[in-house]
Amino acid sequence: MRGKVAVIGVGMIPFGELFEKSFQDMVQEAYINSLKSVDKGIEPKEIKAAWFGQWSGGGMIGQGALCGASLASMIGNREIPITRTENGCPTGSDAFRNACLGVASGVYDVVLALGAEKMRDKPGVESLIAAGGGGGGILGLHPSWMLGMGGPVLQALYATRQMYELGYTMEDYARVAVKNHHNGTFCPYAHYRFEVTIERVLQSYVVCWPLHLLDCCPQTDGAACAIVCRADIAKRYTDKPVYVLGSNTGLDYKDMWNKHSFIEMLSTVRAARGAFEMAGVKAEDMDFAEVHDCFTNTELMNIEDIGFCRKGEAARRLKEGEFNLDGRLPINPSGGLKAHGHPIAATGLGQLCELFWQLREEAGERQVKLKNGIGLQHNVGGDAFGVSCVNILSRAM
Amino acid sequence: MVQPAPASPMFWRFNPEVYRLIGMKCKDCGHITYPRSKICPACGSFSVEEHKLSRRGTVHTFCINWTPPPNLEPPIVNVIVDLEGGGRYQGLITEVANPEEVKIGTKVEMVLRKVMTDRGLKIYGYKLRLLEEG
Repeated sequence: MRGKVAVIGVGMIPFGELFEKSFQDMVQEAYINSLKSVDKGIEPKEIKAAWFGQWSGGGMIGQGALCGASLASMIGNREIPITRTENGCPTGSDAFRNACLGVASGVYDVVLALGAEKMRDKPGVESLIAAGGGGGGILGLHPSWMLGMGGPVLQALYATRQMYELGYTMEDYARVAVKNHHNGTFCPYAHYRFEVTIERVLQSYVVCWPLHLLDCCPQTDGAACAIVCRADIAKRYTDKPVYVLGSNTGLDYKDMWNKHSFIEMLSTVRAARGAFEMAGVKAEDMDFAEVHDCFTNTELMNIEDIGFCRKGEAARRLKEGEFNLDGRLPINPSGGLKAHGHPIAATGLGQLCELFWQLREEAGERQVKLKNGIGLQHNVGGDAFGVSCVNILSRAM
Repeated sequence: MVQPAPASPMFWRFNPEVYRLIGMKCKDCGHITYPRSKICPACGSFSVEEHKLSRRGTVHTFCINWTPPPNLEPPIVNVIVDLEGGGRYQGLITEVANPEEVKIGTKVEMVLRKVMTDRGLKIYGYKLRLLEEG
């Protein structure tokens, strides 16, 4: 991958409860924004293939299964091959990975990865059920095993064990929300742009003990995309391309009862290890990272599983300010899923937009300090958090 | 709730696993899981045998769910249980007055209970009851 693939433009729309926008509005706006973001300009026809990240498959918006033709119609380009990608919460980042492989293989010069999700057209509980949070048959398993499961439960089972084995506390979890909400106040694309305090998190409704409402990311509408191109022709489009060094998907069991541990996700460990190997860099070379904080405890686990610190150290380092915007290793400068929002298929590509802007030093008030000019993006999700995707981007080839 | 119809083939197919607790043990790596699988999910071995899960175990981790899906009264306690003799089970605690009685390490046993009603049919399965000490 290294030396072969570059990002020349990205586009996103502000995430949120976008009742005034249709799914198509979101897709088209993100797509137009990405074309406009290419410094020296690009013609839509220069895009030769696309990967369409879409997770809920139309159930959320009351239409049939979404597929390549859906994106082709929406962007007015039926002449190119488009594949829908679905891989749990890493759907967007895996669509990006596939787009990168399309370019790295030498088959295409310029391709598009676009992810979009409409989650708020349905009210809260219905939306969670349509999103698979209802438990039971959705995973094709008998209800006596899956009864009462759902996103918050899956993570809370980890959070309890993290408290037991690592000594983490609900204050430690709340501190992640405080940091990410603070970062989100600087991001015009973030769903939530307000500060929270530890007290406010701990006083919020207990969704699933030990997780409070403000430990959970919101259900969000959004769309984001990236234009990926051959590294050796990237400067035709911009003087400041961002290069893809490594990109990997890592897996683990799809069932909670098979997991070896409830303080570590092997999907993340495998995704990160492979991406670092491919990139020829180490965790300590990263200037910042966007990681999957669907719940606050998850961020602490990710920081450890990616290899930014040893298991059990993340909470202390967070408390000491190491992961703040001005810390040694800023984590989730965009506000993370916690404040920026989590429109599943758009999430990973939204994080990649943030990497693009940060690495080009265009992130405004939330700009992190660059040393090596390398950033990392991470998602984890799917059945029992069995899928993870890690992308490593750099301002230098 | 999105569920397969209770009269569907899936419910009939999973009867041995759900009611007789027949799982799988890998002869090569020893991994125990359910439902049965011709290939060990841990190591990929084809050399597997049926393994009856124990009805008893200890709580490995848990959470207290105040926002369960429809048809369940909060709070419910979701648990992952380390079974005696190996393997883990995922389920719900039943017959506990105070959810705070459930802790990591609490001993539990499976009891047959109605787990849900769907389209007029009652569906049974195991829930987990706290074992009396001694």
